[in-house]
Amino acid sequence: MKDICLDAIAAAHGRGVTYADARAVCIRTQGLHTEDERVSSLADTESVGIGIRVLLDGAWGFAATSDLSREAVTATARQALAIAGANRALRRPEGVAWCPEPAHREVFRTPMATDPFTVPLETKLDLLLRVNGAVLAVGGVRKCHSHMQFERRHRFLANTDGSVIETETVTSTARYTATAVNEEGAKTRTFEATGATRGYEHIEGTPLLEEAPRVGAEAVEQLSAKPCPVGEMDLILNPSHLALTMHESIGHATELDRVLGMEESLAGSSFATIDQLGSLVYGSPLMTITCDNTLPGGLATLGFDDDGVPGQRWDLIRSGILVDYQTDRETCRAIGASRSHGSCRADSWASVPIIRQSNFGLAPGSVSLTPDELVADTERGILIDGMGSFSIDQKRQNFQFGGDCFWEIRNGRIAGMLKDVTYQALTTRFWGALDAVCDKRFWQSVGVMNCGKGDPGQTARMSHSSAPCRFRGIRVGGAR
Amino acid sequence: MTRQEAFDILDQAVTATAAESVVATLGGSSLLSCRLADNVATQCVRRADASLSISCAYGQSHGSAVTNRLSPEGIATAARRAAEAARLAPPDTEFMPPLPAREASQYADIEAWSDATARRDPTEIAAELEEAVGVVAAAGCRLSGAWSGRGTFHACANSNGLRAYHRATEAAFRATVLTEGSSGWAQETATAAGDVVPARVAREALRIARDARAPTEMAPGRYTVILSPAAVAEMLPWHLVCDAKATAEGRTFLRGKLGTMVCAPSVSVRSDPTDPRCPASPFVGGGLAAAPVHWVRNGVLENLWRSRYWAAKTGTEPSRGPTNLILDGGSASLEDLVASTERGILVTRFWYIRFVDPMTCLLTGMTRDGLFLVENGRITRPLRHMRFNERVLTALSNVEALGQPQRIGGSLVPALKIREFTFSSTTTF
Repeated sequence: MKDICLDAIAAAHGRGVTYADARAVCIRTQGLHTEDERVSSLADTESVGIGIRVLLDGAWGFAATSDLSREAVTATARQALAIAGANRALRRPEGVAWCPEPAHREVFRTPMATDPFTVPLETKLDLLLRVNGAVLAVGGVRKCHSHMQFERRHRFLANTDGSVIETETVTSTARYTATAVNEEGAKTRTFEATGATRGYEHIEGTPLLEEAPRVGAEAVEQLSAKPCPVGEMDLILNPSHLALTMHESIGHATELDRVLGMEESLAGSSFATIDQLGSLVYGSPLMTITCDNTLPGGLATLGFDDDGVPGQRWDLIRSGILVDYQTDRETCRAIGASRSHGSCRADSWASVPIIRQSNFGLAPGSVSLTPDELVADTERGILIDGMGSFSIDQKRQNFQFGGDCFWEIRNGRIAGMLKDVTYQALTTRFWGALDAVCDKRFWQSVGVMNCGKGDPGQTARMSHSSAPCRFRGIRVGGAR
Repeated sequence: MTRQEAFDILDQAVTATAAESVVATLGGSSLLSCRLADNVATQCVRRADASLSISCAYGQSHGSAVTNRLSPEGIATAARRAAEAARLAPPDTEFMPPLPAREASQYADIEAWSDATARRDPTEIAAELEEAVGVVAAAGCRLSGAWSGRGTFHACANSNGLRAYHRATEAAFRATVLTEGSSGWAQETATAAGDVVPARVAREALRIARDARAPTEMAPGRYTVILSPAAVAEMLPWHLVCDAKATAEGRTFLRGKLGTMVCAPSVSVRSDPTDPRCPASPFVGGGLAAAPVHWVRNGVLENLWRSRYWAAKTGTEPSRGPTNLILDGGSASLEDLVASTERGILVTRFWYIRFVDPMTCLLTGMTRDGLFLVENGRITRPLRHMRFNERVLTALSNVEALGQPQRIGGSLVPALKIREFTFSSTTTF
């Protein structure tokens, strides 16, 4: 595929072309789905093709094909040029401030102990069906769905900078959901080996089977749990929950293409405008958010982005102040940066690369603090675990979140389970209420597998990390 | 891909293994799109792809493989992977054998293709978008949006000799116009690209954006709302198509409600692939012939979605849909609904709708791109956007009036006037 990319670059590189790249990708996935004692789906998926992007006289063109013959690739390069040419009249008057990047000739591969595609299907199915059996053995549980998914993504990227980059990344995930049913309704509880760029050792290292009785029991307990109170409460949020809140209220709000209005028509924009860079009080002084596309196991740890920029680590928010954005080569100069942070990714060979969220995390607390101590220090609050309902406005301010499981805290003790908890806030008000973060022993990464953005729509993956934290005085129970 | 080209590939797939039964499906699309932001073109794409899915079975054990490598070698590799998975899989008690070849005799003849859309040239689109940008820029505003033209096909064959093929085109333009402190939105969708006029869409989005300038805050609470067709399409009808098996197991909000009144008597929700206003495929999964089906008729829940397995288990017929979603309307215009409202809120569209509680179909979401207070039959002022939390069945039981249906993507829905709709918070713009 390397030669195909070089042929494409040669075909796309002509008069007026200031940049071109060609990205040939082969994606192989394996998905196993079960329902109770049956295997509902076993599917192996493969997609191969090439996408060619050109910047011609300040106008972009992109064309993609699954036909990798030399003739088809050359024709596709010409299509990209024709599209760019057709849009000259609609180009940005000041041109595209494309940021330079050195040429890279490197190979990156996900480090892993066991290639999941070499593990027999029977082994994987046996684990899923045993998990289902353990969950269904819990009285009151009526249904268990489980699945595993593995992906190998082999990518060649060549561009007119002279870069020739090969990457091979492997992603593994497994998940199951117990459903308890009674006369009044149904409740679910989920457990997962959160998505990670790791091999099958990631599945083996997660106590999927061991946790099944607890997961089933918690689904049943929710049926008789007390409803969510209404009012202002302190919230203690586990990493398995906070990942999604961070994703929606920080991650999307700091994508520089959104901030600059380039996603206005679909995903929206951001309240965190560039005139506030260095001054916007995003949250409390405990809030330091660091992006890290070199994080071992991170879903956005891919070696290089699709602009040919290597993975980096940088602060987004420091002690509560917005200090940077997630950028690509097209946008980074708008904030005076001399180099992209390498946040540009496409979900397949057929998609245009756009800014996607990096791996990022909330820094752990600097003083010793355990989750038990955090609960003991909370007079009246709610502990939330896992992801649930989520919704946020198109400027990333007004949000409402649910969760997967909830416990009431009274006088420093867990006082029983709650159900149907929601909380509502404005982003900066919420992060301003952060008053405690557990220490690094409890810092965990959680994978987000299906982040949607772009038009045509694309999905992306990334990891968000934190330790359990507390937020004071958040409005709960507004959704009834 | 033509019918014959598709069948040639499917025939290879069906005969590539010694599996006892095989179902192969082939789908593909050719897309040309151009995206705008701040009056300039930002992402313009042409792409083509087709994907083959092969599902093999030995007895009740099945496995599948999908590939877009459609060479003989690519097909053979996918077929081998599917067959290997099927050999390893334990028997599936819900497995259904492939449909008989005679199923094809029930396919409706549905015309949903436009050569003009399929052959659209980037220069034609650029000229139309330039005109739309001109309309908005002349008003000192900014246009974002996307034009897309898509030709799709899907085809199916199985080891019983069944063959199915359908193709369709869709052209659409969605426009967001920004002023200082407000936005407006409009869209058109059609089979033929000539029926979508970007400048017309831009003018409508511009009108809404101008009307929405300088919004003021409204206290959250329960209000009569007038939902535009786009807002209705985003929020309401699809949730009424629930799986019959999950419902029988007590896992959906429609359990125990089949045959009962779940909505206002004026509400009927159905699918009809032959409706020329939003044509759809003449067949659904595995080649099952699609047919008109009422999900809700005059407020009564008439059907749940039944798989072939569940239909066989319960002695019923499988659902021959959903293909498209049609919420029958009336003859009133959006302006008529506003004129008939003493006090209410007009919603241009919704954004980021998610379940809060699937068991009661409680949804939450935000309003977006134009929210207006209506008093004494007139729009009196724009409002800051609000978050709603509302149950679908409550909203559809509170329908007071329906407008003229409009195509929004794969749905055909009217504007709705609904009383006591719950807004729970406001945002800052």
